Amino acid sequence: MTTMESGMEQLMEELHQCRRCGICRNAVYDARGFDGICPVYENSTGFETSFMRGKIIVALALLNGELEKTARNSESLFDCTLCGNCTQICPAEFEPAHTLELVRGLLAEVPNQVREEIAHKILSNNNPYEEDNSRKRKWISELGFDIPTNGEILYFVGCTAGMRIPEVAKNTAKILKAADLPFAVLQEEPCCGSVLLRTGKPEAAAETAERVSNAIKESGAKKIVVSCAGCLKTLKEDFPNKFDIELPEVLHILELADNLLQEGRLKPKALPGKNTVTYHDPCHMGRELSIYESPRRVIQAIPNVNLVEMETNRDTAMCCGAGGGLRSYNSELAKNIASKRVQDAIDTGANILATACPFCEHNLQSGAKIVGRNMPIKDVVSLLAECVE
Amino acid sequence: MEESTIEKISQIVGPEYVSTREDVLLSYSASASTGYDSVKPSAVVRPGSTEEVSEILKIANDVNLKVTPRCGGSSLQGEVIPVEGALVIELMRLDSFELHEDLRSATVGAGVTFGKLDKLLKVCGLWLPVYPESSLVATVAGNVAVNGAGPGSTAYGCIAEMVLGLEVVLPDGRIIQTGSEANPNAPGPFLRYAFGPDLTGLFIGSLGSLGIITKVSVKLFKRMEEFHYETYGFQESEQAQKFLIELKENNVNAVFASIYEGRILGFFMDMLGEEYHIPEHDWPPFTVSITLGRLREDQLQSDIKRAAEICGGLEGEVIGISELPRGEWDDRMRTFARSSYAHGWHWRILYHHQTPSNWHKSIEAIWDVMDEYALLGHTAGFATGHSSYNFYPHLYYFPEDKEEERRVREAHVDLSKRLFKTGAVPFKLAPYWVNGVDEMKEYMNVLKGIKDVLDPNGIMHPGVMGGL
Ligand SMILES: Cc1cc2nc3c(=O)[nH]c(=O)nc-3n(C[C@H](O)[C@H](O)[C@H](O)COP(=O)(O)OP(=O)(O)OC[C@H]3O[C@@H](n4cnc5c(N)ncnc54)[C@H](O)[C@@H]3O)c2cc1C
Ligand code: SF4
Ligand code: SF4
Repeated sequence: MTTMESGMEQLMEELHQCRRCGICRNAVYDARGFDGICPVYENSTGFETSFMRGKIIVALALLNGELEKTARNSESLFDCTLCGNCTQICPAEFEPAHTLELVRGLLAEVPNQVREEIAHKILSNNNPYEEDNSRKRKWISELGFDIPTNGEILYFVGCTAGMRIPEVAKNTAKILKAADLPFAVLQEEPCCGSVLLRTGKPEAAAETAERVSNAIKESGAKKIVVSCAGCLKTLKEDFPNKFDIELPEVLHILELADNLLQEGRLKPKALPGKNTVTYHDPCHMGRELSIYESPRRVIQAIPNVNLVEMETNRDTAMCCGAGGGLRSYNSELAKNIASKRVQDAIDTGANILATACPFCEHNLQSGAKIVGRNMPIKDVVSLLAECVE
Repeated sequence: MEESTIEKISQIVGPEYVSTREDVLLSYSASASTGYDSVKPSAVVRPGSTEEVSEILKIANDVNLKVTPRCGGSSLQGEVIPVEGALVIELMRLDSFELHEDLRSATVGAGVTFGKLDKLLKVCGLWLPVYPESSLVATVAGNVAVNGAGPGSTAYGCIAEMVLGLEVVLPDGRIIQTGSEANPNAPGPFLRYAFGPDLTGLFIGSLGSLGIITKVSVKLFKRMEEFHYETYGFQESEQAQKFLIELKENNVNAVFASIYEGRILGFFMDMLGEEYHIPEHDWPPFTVSITLGRLREDQLQSDIKRAAEICGGLEGEVIGISELPRGEWDDRMRTFARSSYAHGWHWRILYHHQTPSNWHKSIEAIWDVMDEYALLGHTAGFATGHSSYNFYPHLYYFPEDKEEERRVREAHVDLSKRLFKTGAVPFKLAPYWVNGVDEMKEYMNVLKGIKDVLDPNGIMHPGVMGGL
């Protein structure tokens, strides 16, 4: 049997694990902290295809030929942020969101202009923004100090922080500098391939993984720091599990900062004013990697900051709407989902909504515009950097 | 379905809430009933109000279009699978909630799940004390339509006992209200048995064949906070059965009580033992797992003492392992899903009620059939109210094994016939009862007469209740 066939057989088995109970729609389970499950269901017209049960029925039909593999018939499989909240509540013995990611990979014939374009851009430019990749280091010139391209600690910047939200990159650098940790940033950092994996382009992702792995090897890194939840999940989990690539230790800057704060190597000053912060758990960092406490400890370590929780938080947190390529496939839906999450934050009475992923930050900003209320969205990295400079 | 009909329906609900897309139709062709064949509807509509439901049914009547009402879509015996070409009316957008605190009641829209309702009520220290183990997805209306029960039923009876009135859209589009709310001047739901015969009851368990329930008014109770979890062991099934009966007679308040015999317990432990941290134990042949619940600590202490005395009087032992009942009760909204879904099997289920004194007769019939048909399975169940025990045996098969699935279907019909002979009664009136049990013919004829009056064109969910 070829690997493709055995992969398909295993996938069909997993899809059959779904017993169609429907709990993954909008379960409210007060005792366990769930107040709704699927952000796509909640923010769309809500037909069965919007949440996982229907998506699995559609996936099975597409894979076994009952439904023709057209763009329209497979649309619902791409209208999903892969947030994994359904996996969190599903009583069956499989992981629906991961399974759906595999389904996307096996539906290679389905025409899907958006994902082809993204893949093309990433493979030809090493970033999804169709820009000259050397610009990924441009923010360094605004720092006032230089960063080498080789070193034992490597800050892997990621495309979004590097090219769209350079504040996150600059602030990460400031934190490392404040703790007196020498670090490097790659000369030509290739995209980590997270978007390729999530949108169902595993072969292209394997190619970028190879590029990343070679570049990291050349840099001499012994530890990799990232500031993006997507990069974190990809480098830390997908590289070894999917591509057999072992990298040096990978950790999020907030995990590192948490350690540095506890060791007394970072001593934050008070943030001016009265600050009530609520923290949004990025799906890739929270549910996927169970990193819930270090970002919260970092927030609480800042004097003059009060942390309040949204009703759904940690492993039951609702998604910001940006994941799984949804922002590209259906940006209106992605932004509506974000607006709901911003509303959750407003409901806590907080005056800052903090997160730890540039994708979340970017999409939540769009959500805040829809809600029309002034709710500053900040990366925890930026909050901390303000206090340690 | 005619284009013009779709057009009319979309004018009522807005085009975004009607779909004829192939993928959408496919996802409405099935439900949690894995052992049943899927059937594709011709369109799905998601109305946003009772009035919209009414308008849709008027159109359906005009053009003789079959309709299938659907709420959570969690039913397990094919009830919500449409007939070929039907219009599925999915009611999850009807999510209103009205609390009548003084009347100790609430009125909820058809799209409100038990989980959602529980959260709304918890803040006022109230509850609807019957929790189907699909509470995170099943709606109150859907459960009323199937005559359900769940944890809590041991003390409070089936869901029917909780209903004070219904808002129903009849097949011709008329909207009726039953119970005290049929008087528009009434302060709300406070009495079900008003205005003569119990019209409310007609729709309970009708599986959507007589009308569409758009709102349900239910009794509410003060939420209990005092619980005690205990297991009791017996050597003979008769002793375990008598134990349940004597608990009732002595007004000991078991909110959830189940008898497990060795084979069932082994199965359950295999599925959930570790998850609920149930310690290894040499279990007796019959174990009764009980959650005692009371509003006050002194009442609870009295119940714990009395239960132990009754157990001793029947030569039983108080086992003292609390994790089993605690797991069942604390995780009551999901235990069943978790235990049933822990392996890769699919299954058919056979809901029936038996008397506690006949508990062993169901068990014998179930094991006989499983052994004869060489099937894997088990049975779960719990005491439900006055003198009844709700059983739901599962017959398992591997989803890819068509031959095994065929045997399961045959065994299913056979088992229903044998159970009927033991005195068991159906409550969710699924096809295996109607097709398998001849003694029900006359009863079904009467139901058919009622159906003909309410739904002369036979548009309402004609596939259920034996195809009335
Ligand atoms: C894991 C699991 C555990 C379960 N545990 C239990 C349990 O403990 N107790 C129990 O009773 N059941 C249980 N069930 C079965 C099922 O969940 C219940 O019967 C549930 O009440 C069905 O509600 P629903 O909203 O999902 O209805 P659906 O499945 O949508 O519909 C059920 C039936 O009612 C009709 N119907 C639905 N809505 C309406 C309406 N508004 N008006 C008129 N007719 C309507 C449908 O046409 C269909 O015939 C379980 C199911 C699963 C998957
Ligand atoms: S994915 Fe899981 S939760 Fe959703 S219907 Fe399937 S089994 Fe149930
Ligand atoms: S992964 Fe998230 S968005 Fe996708 S189906 Fe599950 S809950 Fe919905």
